[in-house]
Amino acid sequence: MKLNNKILLCNLILSVGIFLLTAIGMYYLVNDTVYDELDNHLLQHKTDIVNQVTADPASLNQIQRLGGLGSYEWVEISRYEGLIEAKVNNFATLDTMRSASEMTPKAYRQLTTTLSANDTTYTLKIYEEVAAWQNISMTILLSVLAGLLIWILLLYLVNQMVFSRILTPFYDTIDTLETILYPTDFDERFPHSNTYEIDVLNRALNTMMNQIRSSFEDQKKFIQNASHELLTPLSIIRQKAEKILSKSDQLDRQTVETANEIQQTAVRLSRLSNALLLITRVENKQYELDEQVVITDVTNDVLVELQDFITLKNITLVKDFSKEISVNGNKELIHSAIYNVLQNAVKFSPPKSTIKIATHGNGRQNEFTVADQGPGIPEELKNSLFDRFKKGNGHMNELGQNNGTGLGLSLVKSICKLHGFGYHAENKNGTGAEITLHF
Amino acid sequence: MRALIIEDEPLLNEELEEQLLEEKFNVDSAETFREAEKLISGDEYDLVLLDLGLPDGNGLDLLRMIKKYYEDTVVLILTARGEVEDKVKGLELGSDDYLAKPFAMTELRARIHAVLRRRFKINENEILAGKLHLNLNHLEVTYDGRSLELTETEYKILRYLVLNKNRTITRIALAEHIWGSKIDDRFSLDFINSHMKNLRKKLGEAGATDLIETVYGVGYKLEVHETQQ
Repeated sequence: MKLNNKILLCNLILSVGIFLLTAIGMYYLVNDTVYDELDNHLLQHKTDIVNQVTADPASLNQIQRLGGLGSYEWVEISRYEGLIEAKVNNFATLDTMRSASEMTPKAYRQLTTTLSANDTTYTLKIYEEVAAWQNISMTILLSVLAGLLIWILLLYLVNQMVFSRILTPFYDTIDTLETILYPTDFDERFPHSNTYEIDVLNRALNTMMNQIRSSFEDQKKFIQNASHELLTPLSIIRQKAEKILSKSDQLDRQTVETANEIQQTAVRLSRLSNALLLITRVENKQYELDEQVVITDVTNDVLVELQDFITLKNITLVKDFSKEISVNGNKELIHSAIYNVLQNAVKFSPPKSTIKIATHGNGRQNEFTVADQGPGIPEELKNSLFDRFKKGNGHMNELGQNNGTGLGLSLVKSICKLHGFGYHAENKNGTGAEITLHF
Repeated sequence: MRALIIEDEPLLNEELEEQLLEEKFNVDSAETFREAEKLISGDEYDLVLLDLGLPDGNGLDLLRMIKKYYEDTVVLILTARGEVEDKVKGLELGSDDYLAKPFAMTELRARIHAVLRRRFKINENEILAGKLHLNLNHLEVTYDGRSLELTETEYKILRYLVLNKNRTITRIALAEHIWGSKIDDRFSLDFINSHMKNLRKKLGEAGATDLIETVYGVGYKLEVHETQQ
């Protein structure tokens, strides 16, 4: 949930809460006032009646007979039967009917008290209809609440506008952050803001981005330099070992084998170094991408290079180049990517198996797929196949060796990223792996 | 023949010098751009091994200089930069070949042989190793007059061994020679074995049973004794 929506929702809930509380409070307050007023009114009547009766005890009968004081109130006077305490005013609200002619009972406020006249104690009951008063109170209540409701709605709308205005720079920052895929590729700066917190945030982000960028640049530069500088000493190691080997007839077997291992390791190390150098150069965008490259042609070139291995392994190639894909890019790099994909396929293919190479597409989305019948991609590698130095644990080919530098597919990834191609690997029906490049 | 080695790493320079001396070259060597400049301006060389990454200058400038004054000098670029642009630039400027470090000395020897032959249009297209004749223009190989039917890869292996006769060629150097340094070595080494098996079989059928010697499982050697020649 977005921050401004959250704040708005909180405000709304609070407002509605206050509204409900006010409504309940108002209801009781208004009711209370109404009853207080009614009671005052009833007491006034009582005082009038007592005054009248004191002045003229005979009028008691008249009052008793007439009953009513007005259309909304009436009086009952009966002989005191001790049911209530004498000389105390008792108020009550009750639903009753004034006469049998009324269909439904109405709410009345009743004052029960005692009255003395002609030395006799009477029970005096004065009734006053509540409804008339309640109508007024309800009107007041409703209009106040309606006003409050309108106020809440207005507040909500205004808040929404104000929030979105105030928070715009914040959301701009958030939106920018969401679009960043690779911090190193991001060279925009977060803008200055006149809101203190957003300004702090943006400045912090700018600083961090700069740090990420520069440390990444440094790292890449370092790898590039280190890989490069390693090659000359490696060259010397290799040639010294070769020199020992060239006199193999004067040496014992163990020395020869050791020198051979030294040489092989130097070669392997230099390949690793070269692969790293290539990857970092690709990542540092040190290649021109302005050549027109025909994927099928490159693939055929690569297949010529790998022909020896394909023949010796008795691998059947099934080529389906129904779609000719032509892309803009660096031929050398694309060649390298396809070489790595195909070499992998050949490497992991069992003898006498089939490798399917196909291109298809609809002009907008073109694909190049290589499917082999090898052991497939091991489960633990599925998510990191294209990462650097990822090799299957104990993932051997049929010769019982763990191959490669672990940089082949990582190079494919870098090259694809540089060109904006997609790459994807999956296991095909449990038999073999399929690698797809999307152009 | 006169050769100049321009390489800033002394150990490597020494090694290269030794190799070229073995090949009967008169060798001069330079470790800096300035030294090299002096030597080049003073003398004409038949072969220059040129390292591009010199501490005090760009090797490509030296190449330009060499090609300007001595058109016939063969220049072989050695570089630690596996960079395509340098290779292309070097070849554009007239270098004859390009070797990325680290390379096998046997590979260097094969390359020198090839570029010198190309540059000086050497007419002897045959190389001999005892009774073995290799025609360098075609894929023709005969042993003791009998011709051998070899595949391209087998021919490449044999030629490499002949050019480096009496030396141990490691399988890794052989794999690099045939398939380039891009190929996964542990993957390719096994293929060397099967190619070698076929090659030996063919040689055996022609009567050259023990021509190629295996050196303790690390490599091969084509032994040509003086008595055979």
